[in-house]
Amino acid sequence: MEPTPAPDLELEHLRAQVAAMSKDAILAQLAAGVIHEINTPIASIFSNIDVIERSLDALEAQLGPASPPKALGLVKVIRNLVQVDRMACQRIAGIIRSLKLHARGEEEGMRTAGLNGLVEDSLLLVGSEYKRRITFVTDLGDLPPVECNPQLIGQALLNLLVNAAQAIEGEGRVTIRTSVDGDWAVISIADSGSGMTDEVKEKIFRTAFSTKALGVGTGLGLPLTYRIITEQHHGTITFDSQLGRGTTFEVRIPIKSKEQ
Amino acid sequence: MNPQPEVVLVDDEEMVLTSVSALLMLETECNVHTFLSPAEAIRHLETHPVDLVVSDYLMPQMNGIQLLAKSKELQPEAARVLLTGHADKASAIQAINAVGLYHYLEKPWENAQLLMIVSSAVERTQLLRQVQAMLSDLDNANDSLKDIQTRLIKAFL
Repeated sequence: MEPTPAPDLELEHLRAQVAAMSKDAILAQLAAGVIHEINTPIASIFSNIDVIERSLDALEAQLGPASPPKALGLVKVIRNLVQVDRMACQRIAGIIRSLKLHARGEEEGMRTAGLNGLVEDSLLLVGSEYKRRITFVTDLGDLPPVECNPQLIGQALLNLLVNAAQAIEGEGRVTIRTSVDGDWAVISIADSGSGMTDEVKEKIFRTAFSTKALGVGTGLGLPLTYRIITEQHHGTITFDSQLGRGTTFEVRIPIKSKEQ
Repeated sequence: MNPQPEVVLVDDEEMVLTSVSALLMLETECNVHTFLSPAEAIRHLETHPVDLVVSDYLMPQMNGIQLLAKSKELQPEAARVLLTGHADKASAIQAINAVGLYHYLEKPWENAQLLMIVSSAVERTQLLRQVQAMLSDLDNANDSLKDIQTRLIKAFL
């Protein structure tokens, strides 16, 4: 763990933040365009997979059980291939949905959404980046839909998941649990990383503080996450960290919005 | 469904037209007409009665809402569905309010849902046409009655 940045390093961090923010804006714009371009072909393939399956049902009914085994075998081969195509498309569509959620171009307001779905969507993005060295374990409880801004919650979850993955050097494990505790929906994200010193613990929600190398962390992720959870959703965010054993962040969001 | 339902599909992407028309031809009795350009679709609407118009939103020359507004002007009873990959709330609200949209669907769509929408939209249009025909019959019958009444009065005077 690096020590607290010295004042001149803070200036460097601020410069890095500005660069990262404008880069983020360009990337978000590019992502929105790519999402739009991929969406139509994927929609078409999804529909075709369904139509092929419907046609195979009709074909099988026409052939009947007394048909040559070769013909029935071919129908089975096509059916299996179509199922693989469907799974492949679902994976692409999942990534697109998740990118859509995180691309800043599309501003969304408060609405009712399932937190487990948002966790899964965020995990799809982070998982594809870190799956070679990090095992992501999920234990998702039965959560009622929650009044929230899905785009912002997705952003907060993404920040916490990326932090968890980056806190681990080499191979490790990130465990995501969701549950209900009275009037609260609870999401906990635990990493098997290096944990934090007391000095780091005090500063993590401060803007421009980062333990990560320049260009990796902007020092904005956790303060932003804090604001999303506490100010915009009237929730709480707490953590428990032990040096050498890892950190667990716990996010609690009221099941019934305070505005209702 | 009585007479074969007439459906118009408009999208500047050939692949969407092929996918949706394949589904409708397999699972419905609809007669499907596909158009890559809104202008061609309008020419068709000017001369052929249709039950349903399904249109994409973002297209060159004219967007889906403009096309559906034209369709409403030409054939108000034909149901209008927007099938869009460009999902923004403003265009949805505009479409529902200005064009009297029957349904707003986002890409990627669910075939089962699309089939349900097509069948209920076509049924609604055909019922609307039946009611219009019955009203017109009623008007004619009323006119004949008035005519008979006038002639009867004349005969007795």
